[in-house]
Amino acid sequence: MNRRTFVGACSAILASCRKPSRIRLALNWKPDPQFGGFYAAPYSKHGLDVEILPGGAGTPTVQMIGAGSAEYGVISGDELVVARSRGNDVVALFAVFQNCPQGIMAHASRHLASIGDVVKEGTLAIQRGLPYARILEKKYGFDHVKVVPSPGGDISAFLRDEEFAQQCFVMSEPLQARHAGVDVTVFPVSDLGYNPYTTVLATSGAQLKGDPDHAKAVVAAVREGWRTYLNDPGSTNTRMHELNPSMDAATFAEVAEAQKPFIEQEDLGVMTADRWTTLIGQLAELGDIPQVFAAQDCFRNL
Amino acid sequence: MRLERVRRVFDNHLVVIEGMDLSVDAGEFLAVLGPSGCGKSTLLRMIAGLSAPDGGSIVTNPSQVQTAFVFQDAHLLPWRNTLDNTALPLELMGIGRDQRYHQARAVLAQVGLAEAETRYPTQLSGGMRMRVSLARALVTEPRLLLMDEPFAALDEITRFHLEVQLRELWQRRGMTVIFVTHSISEAAFLANRAVVLARRGGKIRLDRCIDLPPQRTNDLRSDERLGHEMKLLMGAMEEE
Amino acid sequence: MKRFLPPLIPFVAITLALEFAVRSGLVAGYLVPAPSAVFRALLDSRDELAAAMAKTSAAALIGFALSTLAGITIAVLLSSSRAIQRAFYPYAVFFQTVPVIAIAPLLVIWFGYGMKTVIAAAFIVSIFPVIANTLTGLLSTDPALRDLFRLYGASPGVTLVKLRFPAALPQILTGLRVASGLAVIGAIVGEFIGGSGLGSVVDVARTQQRVDKVFAAVLLASVLGLGLFGLINVVSAVTLRHWHASEQQ
Repeated sequence: MNRRTFVGACSAILASCRKPSRIRLALNWKPDPQFGGFYAAPYSKHGLDVEILPGGAGTPTVQMIGAGSAEYGVISGDELVVARSRGNDVVALFAVFQNCPQGIMAHASRHLASIGDVVKEGTLAIQRGLPYARILEKKYGFDHVKVVPSPGGDISAFLRDEEFAQQCFVMSEPLQARHAGVDVTVFPVSDLGYNPYTTVLATSGAQLKGDPDHAKAVVAAVREGWRTYLNDPGSTNTRMHELNPSMDAATFAEVAEAQKPFIEQEDLGVMTADRWTTLIGQLAELGDIPQVFAAQDCFRNL
Repeated sequence: MRLERVRRVFDNHLVVIEGMDLSVDAGEFLAVLGPSGCGKSTLLRMIAGLSAPDGGSIVTNPSQVQTAFVFQDAHLLPWRNTLDNTALPLELMGIGRDQRYHQARAVLAQVGLAEAETRYPTQLSGGMRMRVSLARALVTEPRLLLMDEPFAALDEITRFHLEVQLRELWQRRGMTVIFVTHSISEAAFLANRAVVLARRGGKIRLDRCIDLPPQRTNDLRSDERLGHEMKLLMGAMEEE
Repeated sequence: MKRFLPPLIPFVAITLALEFAVRSGLVAGYLVPAPSAVFRALLDSRDELAAAMAKTSAAALIGFALSTLAGITIAVLLSSSRAIQRAFYPYAVFFQTVPVIAIAPLLVIWFGYGMKTVIAAAFIVSIFPVIANTLTGLLSTDPALRDLFRLYGASPGVTLVKLRFPAALPQILTGLRVASGLAVIGAIVGEFIGGSGLGSVVDVARTQQRVDKVFAAVLLASVLGLGLFGLINVVSAVTLRHWHASEQQ
């Protein structure tokens, strides 16, 4: 048992003495394997009463945390940095994906070699507002490609058109495409040198300062949940599938397996200052934030 | 015109008119008198051809008679001015603009509305609107003029003047007028023949030639002969 | 000037109140932008916003024009017989209830990415009020006037053109007023799906947490809606001024 797990166990014992007050954890997408650990987490064991709020396209989790409509939420690392620069005091507690699982997928038949090739011709469906989209544009230019809005998980346009490339979660849409009979090439966003923490559990600075033990308990529960989920995702997947029938059970299992490499490390969810510093620097260079600030402000390893 | 055993039923069970026989001579001014709901409006609509009798027949001689209808409300097209409203029937008959404006102007002069040509209905008084409605009815030079309580919504003085004007127009043009009303004084003043309908079923209680001089002015209203006619008509109306 | 004063007063009051609220920290600036920030965003991105507004305006106008023509035509057809009305009117309600986002993939299949999808979205969202109001107007013609037209032997076509349609005009214009705003909304939603225009500006700015730019774009969309609304009011004033109570105050 390593140090973190020990602390977690102590926390659990302490916490089980406390009376749970109901808190909300807002997700930024529909229940799917990227949130597996949150659903598997033994909250009551740690004296917590957590209501998980599923999200969808455009759920404003970072604003919800700031406004107090959710005590905890799942956001992306770059979202957090930008929010902080705007005066929204959000703090990261646990990073599910140590490596960013976002990417761009294209039809394998095009035989593209690198991420820069997707903008040479055809159509690219991407959220232009995302930092990596702008890094891509800065590096390679969008002059020869038609850029259209991302269809948000729907791959029907992709399947119909060979020249159509779209942003994706590396272990999600490509699998769906393969099931539909289309072979794909996937370029992870980290190919651009851009690799923020993703699917990050965060809370407001006020919540953290006001009740640090509570936050510790939440993180401990989540960490346990993710360990459980990584070892055996089956029952949690069933639960999530009930909440989100749009993905079938087989895909749930496949994606849960495919995402493991992005998550697994000895201390699940732990973050480093270096990674945050790099991210802050990249966003300042893009102009998304006016100036750099201390990485320490962004996160807390509990 | 002759109505023979005319019958009209509403909704398969309400017999409004049962077996009515009535004949009307050309050039007559016939008042149809009766209490509300006695079927007099229904009768007028059948004569106009707007609804068909459920039994019996209505025969006119000649078979096609230029007919005009005046309703209780003026029912002018509010987006047209007086001239265009008056000319409407001619327009619907396909008559060209200059011709129909010429005819419309002539009629408007006859009802005393020459100056109101460019005004819109919202700019006219109730009495003026009724006169436009009348002018519209007359613009096609109808042989038969049907009027359904046209003056009921107007004030008394306006009514008196319009009644006199109507009689003058009738005398000048020699057309047949069938005038439905529930006002005994109006029926007596205007008509040279009056029929009184029963409360229900369209039965004719009285069919009388009004015994009054052909020239009728407002002075006649205080004449005892008018009162006499009114008494007779009232008697028939109260009979039940 | 007197006409514009009454609506300006609440606008100025709210703007000042909001500015104060954000500056004093009562309201978080990252949730609701200070009016000064919105104004600055308007200035800084004026070229981008102007181009976007031109695109959205064009799409909304075309979509609105199409829904006006199609809506009135459909209403005329529905009004021609009880049987047709009963058979097909429920399908018109489909236009009112379908969430455009849900059929977005279909729109993209049929119209591709670009202006056509945006126009289609504006059309779908705005057509129902035109149909409903026009139909009500056409069916409410004064029966006595219809009798009058019948008496003079007017054909159904003539009755439609000279009586039923002019009589329905106030109702039609009401429908157009509602539809105009919806056309703008529809265009923006269409732009979320198909790209370009103010909708795209909102979508991108939202992702970047630029609430000031989002509000700037939304403000311009409102201006567009107001413009269309004003246009219809002008048409209403000209056509109804002589005869309808609504224009005679």
